[in-house]
Amino acid sequence: MSFIEIDNLTVTFRAQGREVRAVEGVSLSVDERESYGLVGESGSGKSTILRAICGMAPVSGGSIRIAGKVLPAQRGRAFSADVQMVFQDPYASLHPRHTIDRTLSEPLAIHGMPDRDARVVQALVDVGLPPAFRFRYPHQLSGGQRQRVAIARALMLKPRILLLDEPTSALDASVQAEVLNLLSRLREEQGLTFLMVSHDLAVIDHMCDRIMVLQHGRTVEEISRDDLAKANMNTPYARSLFEASADRMLGSTTEPAR
Amino acid sequence: MSLLEVRNLRVTFDTETGPVQAVRGVSFSLGRERLGIVGESGSGKTMTGRAVLRLIRPPGRIEAEAMTFDGQDILNMPEREMRALRGKRIGMVMQDPKYSLNPVMTVGRQLTEGLRLRDRLGRADAVAKAIAALEAVQIRDPHRVMDAYPHELSGGMGQRVMIAMMLIPEPDLLIADEPTSALDVTVQAEVLSILDGLVRDRGMGLIFISHDLRLVARFCDRVLVMHKGLVVEEIAAANLLAAKHPYTQGLLNCLPRIGGPRGPLPVLDRTGV
Repeated sequence: MSFIEIDNLTVTFRAQGREVRAVEGVSLSVDERESYGLVGESGSGKSTILRAICGMAPVSGGSIRIAGKVLPAQRGRAFSADVQMVFQDPYASLHPRHTIDRTLSEPLAIHGMPDRDARVVQALVDVGLPPAFRFRYPHQLSGGQRQRVAIARALMLKPRILLLDEPTSALDASVQAEVLNLLSRLREEQGLTFLMVSHDLAVIDHMCDRIMVLQHGRTVEEISRDDLAKANMNTPYARSLFEASADRMLGSTTEPAR
Repeated sequence: MSLLEVRNLRVTFDTETGPVQAVRGVSFSLGRERLGIVGESGSGKTMTGRAVLRLIRPPGRIEAEAMTFDGQDILNMPEREMRALRGKRIGMVMQDPKYSLNPVMTVGRQLTEGLRLRDRLGRADAVAKAIAALEAVQIRDPHRVMDAYPHELSGGMGQRVMIAMMLIPEPDLLIADEPTSALDVTVQAEVLSILDGLVRDRGMGLIFISHDLRLVARFCDRVLVMHKGLVVEEIAAANLLAAKHPYTQGLLNCLPRIGGPRGPLPVLDRTGV
């Protein structure tokens, strides 16, 4: 039995009498401490799957189980202590009028956890920010620092699963490298399970053990990391994504140098 | 003779805490080729592009030793003549179609507006020309797109509409500021091949501004790498991997690669540069 099991998930949005199936019959399973990647272009339903796990999308079919238990309709506190999400845009995901201290201590207050002071400081240290940043507002931080705060916030309750929705696509290349390194280190240290979404195949390849390619809300193909490196894919769409990936553009460096 | 010549360009913003230089002495010349300008946020790449069109508003100011386009001095040209140059001879494609198209005008009206006012074309002629431009950027259903509002188009379509709009006056120079950053990789490839075709077929000059070194390396002939308002390296795109400057090397190395090693990615040493 896997840690996260998604079986035949379908998400349907209804607007003005029209139905849009954002996700159709997607099944996947992720083991504990595994890092699993979802890749696809805009509208492929990759983010919707993460939102469905959090109860933020209208699931119309299928089931989601975590550690063998079907998730309750109202996700509740037990869920948020286990599963947390990091969003794409750190400029939008932090409350602009709350200090970092308030943002980080809010989950502790809701869950009635003690030692808030020490935990906030520890969380900042864990993500490589100076403790003095507690009393700053988001606009006083750079994009990379904000994303570190967003990661710290997600880790406040010591979750076991982190859902990462394009965590570095709003960041510069050099800052992306720092944030990816941070995520890898935290996964190692805290034994986290990652479910990560990105449109960048190279980022997903760097971070994940197995990868699912999605298109128009359906599964195209599941690829292991080894097969991706060997360009061993079965479907033309996965291949076209691979060929169009910016990583391929440096041609010569991708082949040798290993 | 080169199409565009920029010597020692500076863009300064006067702020309450004193002047801030966004561009600190950039020089380059451009022929009928594809020049890439790469850099991270705040490197001054966008400001360089905008300064060429003198699109920097106070409190910003532009200074340079020389800035000539096709033999004309665009640094000291009266605003009136500058306006005649913008769009018609130098076009600019902005990053995000969502913010650069007028949301309350149909695509058709936006595309024909310039043709009717500037070129004094009749309605039917203007529409025909706009449709031809949409076809040139490989929009399959130009009549539908003409009647659509920007919010009814996808990001890729919107970006193509912007390119079409810039190409109607057949400019000699196109400045494209992150034209594909908001697009999916497969759409990105299409937009790039459209731009590529235009440079080849029309002999247009192109300044391609991007944060993505790999993209620029594949698409451009020559690359300027900018950092903190300065050009740290100018290099033929084909030789990018042999870049000498530590900043350029750092930018290249910090990118993850498919099938690359799993260990921590090298990060830029910010103290050194």
